[in-house]
Amino acid sequence: MPLLSVENLKAYFFTMKGPVKAVDDVTFSLERGDVLGLAGESGCGKTTTALAILKLLPEPGRIVNGRIIFDGMDLVKLSEEEMRRKVRWKRISLIFQGAMNALNPVFKVGDQIAEAIMLHEDVTKEEALERAAELFEMIGIEKSMINRYPFELSGGMRQRAMIAMALACRPDLVISDEPTTALDVIVQAQVLKLMTKLKDELNLSFIVITHDLSVIAEVCNKVAIMYAGKLAEIGDVVTIFKKPMHPYTQGLIGAFPSVKEKKELISIPGYPPDLLNPPKGCRFHPRCKYAMDICKKEEPEMKIIEGHRVACHLY
Amino acid sequence: MEDYILQVENLRKWYPIRRGFLASLLSKEELYIKAVDGVSFKVRRKEIFGLIGESGCGKTTLGKTVIRLYEPTAGKILFNGVELTALNQKELKEMRKKMQIIYQDPYESLNPRMSIYDIVSEPLKVHKITDDPAEEEEIVRTTLERVELRPAEDFMYRYPHELSGGQRQRVAIARAIVLNPIFLVADEPVSMLDVSIRSGILRLMLDLREKYNITYLFITHDLAIARNIADRGMIMYLGKMAELGTMDQIVENPQHPYTKALIAAVPVPDPTAERTKVVIGGEVPSPVNPPPGCRFRKRCPHAMEICGKKDPEPVEVEKGHYVACFLYA
Repeated sequence: MPLLSVENLKAYFFTMKGPVKAVDDVTFSLERGDVLGLAGESGCGKTTTALAILKLLPEPGRIVNGRIIFDGMDLVKLSEEEMRRKVRWKRISLIFQGAMNALNPVFKVGDQIAEAIMLHEDVTKEEALERAAELFEMIGIEKSMINRYPFELSGGMRQRAMIAMALACRPDLVISDEPTTALDVIVQAQVLKLMTKLKDELNLSFIVITHDLSVIAEVCNKVAIMYAGKLAEIGDVVTIFKKPMHPYTQGLIGAFPSVKEKKELISIPGYPPDLLNPPKGCRFHPRCKYAMDICKKEEPEMKIIEGHRVACHLY
Repeated sequence: MEDYILQVENLRKWYPIRRGFLASLLSKEELYIKAVDGVSFKVRRKEIFGLIGESGCGKTTLGKTVIRLYEPTAGKILFNGVELTALNQKELKEMRKKMQIIYQDPYESLNPRMSIYDIVSEPLKVHKITDDPAEEEEIVRTTLERVELRPAEDFMYRYPHELSGGQRQRVAIARAIVLNPIFLVADEPVSMLDVSIRSGILRLMLDLREKYNITYLFITHDLAIARNIADRGMIMYLGKMAELGTMDQIVENPQHPYTKALIAAVPVPDPTAERTKVVIGGEVPSPVNPPPGCRFRKRCPHAMEICGKKDPEPVEVEKGHYVACFLYA
């Protein structure tokens, strides 16, 4: 049984102008030990998917359809109280985007981590602080740093501290939203290495949300490519990078520069659509060079081809 | 002889640190942030020269100082045969027609209250290019068409919020090229844009270089982008040059320990690529009164005694490939 299985998830934002279909019929699953990369451009619904899994959608967002089965429980059916007591942080935790600035500047970092532990487990403050110190050691920061304030830590250390906080209650799944976007290259490499090490040591699963395909190639074993609220393609990382089938995936990989080679960078013409009023049929068809008549009329179904799933009328 | 459009010699930009009255009485020592500290390089006409480094290495300060948007603390800047540091404000203004800048964030760099027409025509008004409104409109129209915002009429009277990120960056480029400059400083021009939009902007920049002989100083933290667009480049670390050469030399045959670490750390968009990560520890230290010697030595796996005593001078290790490191001295 997969650890997490998201089935036909629809999460809309009900704005005054009408519903914005940020996540529209998304299905994927994750086994224990998987690192799934959720990739796509800004506004494609990747962060909304993550927030929907934790039922943390901001107003006016709502899950309108679908099931989120996590370890046998359907999270969609759980109450807010049950989510908070049973799921969030204890089982699934989140490393926020811009985590470097997500720490409260007026509290010591150790106290902030201890607070998360004490909220979820019946421990004293001393025990919680001790665990925070252990966590710091695990992520490679000196124990005594728990008594520092966030401004006394460098960007990379703050990001590590956020990872420590996400691991504080020993979750099974960690969702990280753009975990390294604001970091410098060398610090980014340090953090990615740490994530891989923690995954192996603690048998964690990760969902890594990023627009950076090279980060996915570094740490993930599975990839899901999203476009305009839909899944375009999902499969194991080597298949997707080596044999992308969806024209959008092909375009994205073709547009991504690599330090290893000098290549002609190909851009995808046009711009992503407005999700208030997405194009009929396949949402990618106005930008697709293979677009056919059927693409304008019918939404493509997910098909299983050579071990991965792709939603495109070409196949 | 090589045709250089820009020759920078021993350029410095130091920022004094303001301190409280008492602190300044107690200690005479002046503190400086040495953002750019003795950098020399030359840019050939019509080339794309990359200034590459991590945040805080001084690349943006250097880029803005070479066109005198910041006043240099010391050093020489020979631009198109003219010594920029010797110009007065009036002469400098005249020179600005030839050198322009594109900023990183097209959501911040365009005034939201100005129409695209006003934004692109503003440099024409500042430099009093024409009195004739019809001629001005014609210049704005052709400039918008040059950056592929076609038809220009569809864009002229719109406001920045009506455009996407990629279109806004094209407006910023139009504003920069409307005076027909020969030199453009591009400060991370694509780092705020989505991947599918980026290549379009980079291709436009290459295209403008071919058509109008523009030289670019391309500031970026992203080695993969630098590799793909720049001809030559300089790797900077804490206000100093670490390595300079063609992008092929830098990426395929890096010499400086910092460049090696940087290239090893760049993630590669290929899951089957070999991963030999020798990740160095630590982060870039503060540029406030750095101690003498090589600034990288505290993180360097090859640090020697001499590295703490003197600044390393650039050494030519192969033709056109310079490294500032005592391993090669």
